[in-house]
Amino acid sequence: MRPNVLEASAPAAIKAPARTILTIAGLEKTFDDFTALHGIDLHVQDGEFLTIVGPSGSGKTTLIRLLVGMETPTSGSIWLRDQRIDELPPNKRPTCMVFQSLALFPHRTVGENIEFPLKIRGTPAAERKARALELLTLLRLPPDYYSKRIQQCSGGERQRVALARALAFDPEILFFDEPLSALDYRLRKTLEKELKDLHARTGKTFIYITHSLEEAMVMSDRIAIMRAGRFEQIATPDEIYARPVSRFVAGFMGEVNLFDVTADGTDMAGSGLVIRPGLAAETGLKGPGTLVVRPEAVRFLDFGEAADFQIQGVLHAEYALGSRLQYEIDLADDRKGTVEVLREQRITGKPGTDVRLGWDLSSCHLIKGA
Amino acid sequence: MKPTAVTRALLLGYGILVLAILYLPIVAVGFASVSKARYLTFPIRRYAFDWYGEAIASPTVSDLLATSLRVAAIVTVISMVAGFFGALAYARYQWRYRRLFQKLILLPIFFPQTVLGLALLIWFNAIGVTPTWKTAVIAHLVWIGPIATLVIAIRAYSFDPALEEAARDMGCTTWSVMREVTIPLLMPGVISAGLFAFLLSWGNFPLSLFTTGADSTLPEWLYAKMVSGYSPLVPTVGMLSVAASALLLAIGLTLPALLRLLRGQTTD
Repeated sequence: MRPNVLEASAPAAIKAPARTILTIAGLEKTFDDFTALHGIDLHVQDGEFLTIVGPSGSGKTTLIRLLVGMETPTSGSIWLRDQRIDELPPNKRPTCMVFQSLALFPHRTVGENIEFPLKIRGTPAAERKARALELLTLLRLPPDYYSKRIQQCSGGERQRVALARALAFDPEILFFDEPLSALDYRLRKTLEKELKDLHARTGKTFIYITHSLEEAMVMSDRIAIMRAGRFEQIATPDEIYARPVSRFVAGFMGEVNLFDVTADGTDMAGSGLVIRPGLAAETGLKGPGTLVVRPEAVRFLDFGEAADFQIQGVLHAEYALGSRLQYEIDLADDRKGTVEVLREQRITGKPGTDVRLGWDLSSCHLIKGA
Repeated sequence: MKPTAVTRALLLGYGILVLAILYLPIVAVGFASVSKARYLTFPIRRYAFDWYGEAIASPTVSDLLATSLRVAAIVTVISMVAGFFGALAYARYQWRYRRLFQKLILLPIFFPQTVLGLALLIWFNAIGVTPTWKTAVIAHLVWIGPIATLVIAIRAYSFDPALEEAARDMGCTTWSVMREVTIPLLMPGVISAGLFAFLLSWGNFPLSLFTTGADSTLPEWLYAKMVSGYSPLVPTVGMLSVAASALLLAIGLTLPALLRLLRGQTTD
């Protein structure tokens, strides 16, 4: 069943390179007096794994509900290749979603769940069963799970069944609405990798939403970070990690040290920071900026040792993080700093010891502007 | 924590006491129906089962049974269908007057049945409808319909709205979402509601008393006979009525297992 072609092709203005599978143009959604999406644009490439990350209330759930057709946009359009799909009901769209609750049918067996989209399409029973068994194998579930009840499956197995069911639909784009959020940490880590692997093997376009940037980093080709109904940054995981465009993006990925700085063209200054003279000229910063320093970029300075940026603090505590150690440092003005080093680089100081921290311009990132 | 021997003994005694209070009166009616004497006395001197033969042969009794059964059956079917949609409106869908509906639907249940019966009788007279067993069906529905709705609504509350969305996302039309997801998932609730509806209608006295007009249901007849013209036929018919309810309940309780058995045979 193919969706109707509502217009001959996407307007030239929003038409993107040939391999674009999904185009979102000026998409806006308002609920009563609340605007969930402020006219956003996005192009997704065929076969891409795109993750949309944002805190709750950022509009990511609204966006995915618009994409699958469970909400209608206030304005703007959604295009699947050259077909406008935003006016089609969900059952007429060639896309499929894995729900947060998975939405597996409790009154059906694993096999019947997987076959469901095929049954609706009128595929003969024998063919359905063959496809279901194929998908069980693809998702590394034993064939005898075919006749198991959903209630007999573990959390991880249910994930795989939900995935198999979505793949049975054979969608053009597979959407995911935080399907891993209810699982424990270790299982989540395993499934993240499996999902990435599955993406590579099936070659399908995956659009995944989550509130965890960490999860997005593991799986995605590209990450779109949402904030208050807009995209804050759309880039590769590496780019987002190394060059966040704002404090919001920088702060999203776990622990990070942020310092406010100002520059007058030659010199840079920041509260408590000792900054190498002339540094501002190298960065081109004029006016305010934010320094983003990852905990692993910071090192403890020995007496007399120099760095582009230096700050004085008092050792507060040491935490073991597996192969790494994390130190929490009390800085001036009740601020905290975080340093991460490899286990071999453990320092000898006890809590309460004065320490001097340092890092170089090459290992940190500067966001220009307030 | 394991209860001590004393606690266990006390709990057991309490359980037996509760069951005795619940079931001894019914047993007493049973004894009355098989006593040769006209009125029940203990110990029973001579047993007789003649009244059962008489009850089954009696055209009055079979008329009563037919009326009661007809009323209960119609009430059951309508309650199940109306309760199903009512429960969706009550528990599943967001609509403007939902909260008002949720309150209004409860009202008839809290109304004393005698008052409700009287109100309905006055109403039927006012609009010029002669009360018969058909008006009794309507009276029963006013009271039983809301109960059936609530029974199904409990079931409807416990199911994930994403199930219907997922079915739709995978290509289901509105009707096939109903057929594939909503109806099968609510079915246990619909069956319990049907059982409740039947039993409540079958045993209902106050509403029937006011609204059957010239027709008579079993409970009405039992009451009339108690007031004048008592014979052991009364407890006998009472016991037959209890037996019918018990049979229905047994069928209702084994139905899920039976269905599973049937489904198992068709899929293999």
